[in-house]
Amino acid sequence: MNSPHAILQGKACAPGHFEGEAVVSNQPFGFWQGLDPLTGTVIDQRHELCGTSLKGKAFFFPYGRGSTGTPGIFLEAVRNACAPAAIVNTKSEPMIVMCSLLAEAFFKVLIPIVDGLEGDPKSILKTGDWVRIDGTTGIIDVISRS
Amino acid sequence: MHLTEEERQILDGAFGEPQRIALNVLIKLGDAYGAEGMVEIASAHIVGSSYQIAGEAGIEIYSKLVEQGAKVKVRTTCDPGSIDFSRWQIFKTPPDYAERQVKIAELLGQMGVIPTWTCTPYTAFNVPRYGEDLGWSESSAVIFANSVIGARTNRLAAYVDVCAALVGRVPRFGLHLPECRRGQVLFEVASELSDNFEDHFFPVLGYFVGQKAGDRIPVINGVQKATLDQLKAFGAAAAASGSVALYHMVGITPEARTLDEAYRGRQPADRTVVGRSEIDNTLEQMNTGDSGAVDIVGLGCPHASIDQMRRYAALLKGKYVHPSTELWICANTVVEDMARQMGYIETIERAGAKLMVGTCHNDCPLGAWNFRRLATDSGKFAYYTPTTVGTKCIFASTEACIEAAIRGRIGSL
Repeated sequence: MNSPHAILQGKACAPGHFEGEAVVSNQPFGFWQGLDPLTGTVIDQRHELCGTSLKGKAFFFPYGRGSTGTPGIFLEAVRNACAPAAIVNTKSEPMIVMCSLLAEAFFKVLIPIVDGLEGDPKSILKTGDWVRIDGTTGIIDVISRS
Repeated sequence: MHLTEEERQILDGAFGEPQRIALNVLIKLGDAYGAEGMVEIASAHIVGSSYQIAGEAGIEIYSKLVEQGAKVKVRTTCDPGSIDFSRWQIFKTPPDYAERQVKIAELLGQMGVIPTWTCTPYTAFNVPRYGEDLGWSESSAVIFANSVIGARTNRLAAYVDVCAALVGRVPRFGLHLPECRRGQVLFEVASELSDNFEDHFFPVLGYFVGQKAGDRIPVINGVQKATLDQLKAFGAAAAASGSVALYHMVGITPEARTLDEAYRGRQPADRTVVGRSEIDNTLEQMNTGDSGAVDIVGLGCPHASIDQMRRYAALLKGKYVHPSTELWICANTVVEDMARQMGYIETIERAGAKLMVGTCHNDCPLGAWNFRRLATDSGKFAYYTPTTVGTKCIFASTEACIEAAIRGRIGSL
């Protein structure tokens, strides 16, 4: 499974290009009360990533959950340049896609979103892996392993 | 996506920049979810009204929209703010924080938003009708409108709800389509539980169902009866612990008069039996603290109804809140006004409890209080407490919470 190089095809949900480090979790995540928008650090004490920074990273997690206040926190993070720079889900709930659309509409920042990733994100890659993401084609390129 | 003539004109900027930006966001959202067109909405309810959620980004966005002449096109109400506008000093809100919330209030007012400051807009001013399309956010209000009333709204999000309000439309996908409203996962409440289904089981069951259902539509079978407040508490918990936007409670909610109607002819993939042990295990998860001293008790999440105010007053009559414990009850201005006229607030305040209007524990900055252990009867509040208030949380029945406020400590449930 953890071959040094892999190309994954997901469903393109929001445009943009990313190349950089991945942060990977198999737990659902809620940005509202889950992310500190001033630092980009996970603050949900029940989440395995608590204390981890998502700033400028590609955030892989199964699906978003919780509050409809999500874009409030997300856009505050975008405004502070502390938001994740790409999101990959097993199944994106509209909330996550909305975050990206709003970031583009109000702050002219493109945050690619890809979903339809099959299986546990952790079985595909792990935190620290270097990935390339194309939000228009839905292609995720795992370039190197950490 | 199919667009009407008017929608094309909006996109061409004929109705100004705010509408053009708003429709653009909504069309892209619709495209991502395969919507064939837009649908007109009867009302909007927006969640980015609190400074805690909107922050400086929100002030920047709203200021720009107001500058460009933005006005809401349909009835639009707003969620709680981050301060009690008339009593923020009592709750130790920093003045500069209060000032930013007042700024948001001004901007929303300029766009024509009705200042309801409540998560229960369906109490008054924004009461949906069965089958009506809406553009709402606030997860606990969305799940109530969809499930208890049978109105149709997806869970919009902060700012997308403003976009919907500005053009009076949302993309038609998901819960706006009757075929997407059928139950997908069954929860069968065991008779050992349903025969004596206590009031505080509703938020616990909601918490359990939310965790299991995730973003699927749960069908709950075996609950014999439920009040609006119990359905409100159930839904708020399910929408917090999961992403549930619609549930069917057989024999209780309008799209589930029978089990068959809830499934619309198709059997659900999953079936879970909920008995006493599931409730006990969920209670354990909701409690991040043990029995012992509590310094804050939070009631009214979602905002209390007049029935709940009556109940709180009856439980507090002639009693006194412990000197080292705070008891805060959250409600909207409509309920506050009625409760005052009914004499409930006098009883509540005489007991030493505080009424918190237009906001809640979840939305206010509480750092100055240094609370360590909180008790609440809300599944939603229990879910968010560790991060919002930063305290240990004890979930208990309304009666046990009020007793804890009086004794200054809580026993095991």
